[in-house]
Amino acid sequence: MQQMIEATELTKNYGNVAAVNGISFSVMEGELFGLLGPNGSGKTTMIRMLTGQVRPTAGSARVMGLDPAEDPIGARKLIGIVPEQETPPSFLTAEEYLHFVARIRNLDRIDERCDRWFDLLGFQEKRDVLCKDLSRGTRQKLMVAQAFLHEPRLVLIDEPLINLDPIVQRTVKDFLQEYVRDGGTVLISTHILEIAEEICDRVGVLHDGKLLYCGQTEGLAGPGRSLERSFLDLVRGDAGA
Amino acid sequence: MPDLFSAMMKEEWRIHATIFGSAGFAFFPVVVAIFAFAGSLALPLFSDTLPSTVMAMLALAFFLLAGVMVGSFGTMGREFMNRRFGQASLVAYASRSLPLSERRIFATFIVKDTVYYILLYVLPAAAGFTAAAPFIALDPIWGLRAFVSLALAFLIGLSAVCLLSTLYARSIGLLAGTVVVLAGAGLAALGMNAVFPPYAFLIDPAPGSLALSLILILVPAAASVLLVTVDYPDRTKRFTNRFEPLAERLCPLGSAHFIAKDALDLSRSEGGAGKVIFSFILPLGLVWVCLRILIRFIPGIDPLVVFAILLGVISATIYNWLTEFDSFTSYTFLPVEVSAVIDGKLKSYAIANLLPVAVLVLAAASAGGAGSLLPALAAFLSVSVYTLAVTVYLCGLSPNIMLYHAWVFLRYVLMISPALLLLIFASLLDPAYAFGSLFLVPAAGLLIARARSKWQAWDMPGY
Repeated sequence: MQQMIEATELTKNYGNVAAVNGISFSVMEGELFGLLGPNGSGKTTMIRMLTGQVRPTAGSARVMGLDPAEDPIGARKLIGIVPEQETPPSFLTAEEYLHFVARIRNLDRIDERCDRWFDLLGFQEKRDVLCKDLSRGTRQKLMVAQAFLHEPRLVLIDEPLINLDPIVQRTVKDFLQEYVRDGGTVLISTHILEIAEEICDRVGVLHDGKLLYCGQTEGLAGPGRSLERSFLDLVRGDAGA
Repeated sequence: MPDLFSAMMKEEWRIHATIFGSAGFAFFPVVVAIFAFAGSLALPLFSDTLPSTVMAMLALAFFLLAGVMVGSFGTMGREFMNRRFGQASLVAYASRSLPLSERRIFATFIVKDTVYYILLYVLPAAAGFTAAAPFIALDPIWGLRAFVSLALAFLIGLSAVCLLSTLYARSIGLLAGTVVVLAGAGLAALGMNAVFPPYAFLIDPAPGSLALSLILILVPAAASVLLVTVDYPDRTKRFTNRFEPLAERLCPLGSAHFIAKDALDLSRSEGGAGKVIFSFILPLGLVWVCLRILIRFIPGIDPLVVFAILLGVISATIYNWLTEFDSFTSYTFLPVEVSAVIDGKLKSYAIANLLPVAVLVLAAASAGGAGSLLPALAAFLSVSVYTLAVTVYLCGLSPNIMLYHAWVFLRYVLMISPALLLLIFASLLDPAYAFGSLFLVPAAGLLIARARSKWQAWDMPGY
């Protein structure tokens, strides 16, 4: 199996704040890997470094064989990214936005690709609505769709299910698991433990920019203990240390 | 109420301080006062061309528009805020989450805007005018009259927009009906030779004009508070896919998807016509008035060439329209270079620049200045390209924010004004010297190249 992501001593400082502090981990092909951590733990910064959106202060990363700091465009051509906060452009419709992304990615069969995602995520009837008039949940669906439009082998998703209703959450979770079964690789960041427990093969727990745990999801919980209990012990223990 | 007011005042200050920097923004009222002082000192120069009554009306109209713009931003600027700050969450939008009625929040919001912007705009402007009064043989009491009448004009604009935005939130029909009634009342007032009440107060500070002004402020403000609602009717806008055919047609130009997106952004965003009027037509009209004045003082001036040079500077504001709803962060998760985004904007700008070229040709035709059209065109194109290059270099995709930052604005002025002054001076000697402006084109090319490298190295902000 190919190593899809390899982070080595990755560090990002903002002034005196170490958002990510010397983290190393790897994600293998066909894995659904979860980055867990409370708000402000460094998950988003980690994803931004892995996708070439910010440059690391120290350390290095390889994503599908490329260094995202050296070749961010090359890396982003290969992967899909769902950012946590960014919303689609206000004055394009949902369909127009997917066409915009498809043209940036130089894709063919654009209508076919769009239809597939409108159907899969169930927002076909919103395709002609301006993005500014879409609900938060539908915007999130659109951001998920743009990340998968070019059928990448690796997708990094920052808070994948945020703003989605339970029905679409189920759809997205099922899709991600199917995507991984078909050989795709997914890294998600989330602070919702149930998501990790349900769909992630392995998890990394971040707190204050440090990696406290990296391994099998079941290994984090341990026998007879809930994932939540173990997570809280881990994070609180680190805070108290 | 005092706590809510205090929170809103702090919030307003922090929004501006976040965008412009605390020190830069704190200096803003001082800049307004200095400009008002300098402008007031120059008033006697204009008195031959424009009667003082007309100048007073222009000043009041300017503050009326300022009130309209402040009100528009306060009530409709959420989209802009969201693009700049992510999902903006302001106290004014909090009636659903705080145990406060929407009326109370909205009333406090109007009071906050009144106090904040009078301190920010009106008071400094009146102070500058008052300080200049002794130098232009005016009794300083005119400063107080100017302050009151400018504040009244500002508040009439503010309260009118508050009412109209409230009506808009309830029903477009209600809004349209009110606009028709107000327009009819305005025309009837003009027919009866009625005077704009703040202007009447400025000329003769009688209680009647003050009372009428207050009615024009308080009645719409009270009505907007009574009618305010946060239950907006669904006005979802739907469009067939216009992006794809447009991008297809633009393919030969390269960056077709960026140009097509810019075109749709421009045509679908709010205030499309307003943007053209306020940031293009009005400044051009002002330039034309100033040129008429200059012709009297400087014989031999070719108005078309000077107009072309100034048109070049003003046309650079088109870049502000093109970047209004864009930022580099919108592209960081896509395989696209920052420099490619900039290239797309430059191409969109080149296409949009056909509008000022048309204005220049029309000006040449109407002024009978076809003889100097070629040097005027050369001057316009060179200055426009150079000003754009300076803007892109200093501000990237955020001229609407960064040009308000005192340090960036100073660099902008220092990079542009020497070239402009030199060019204007040369064209006074001989309009053909305007061809010399072409030396700005390679300088612009160099700046654009540096801008591409500079913004390519831009790193997404974190903490």
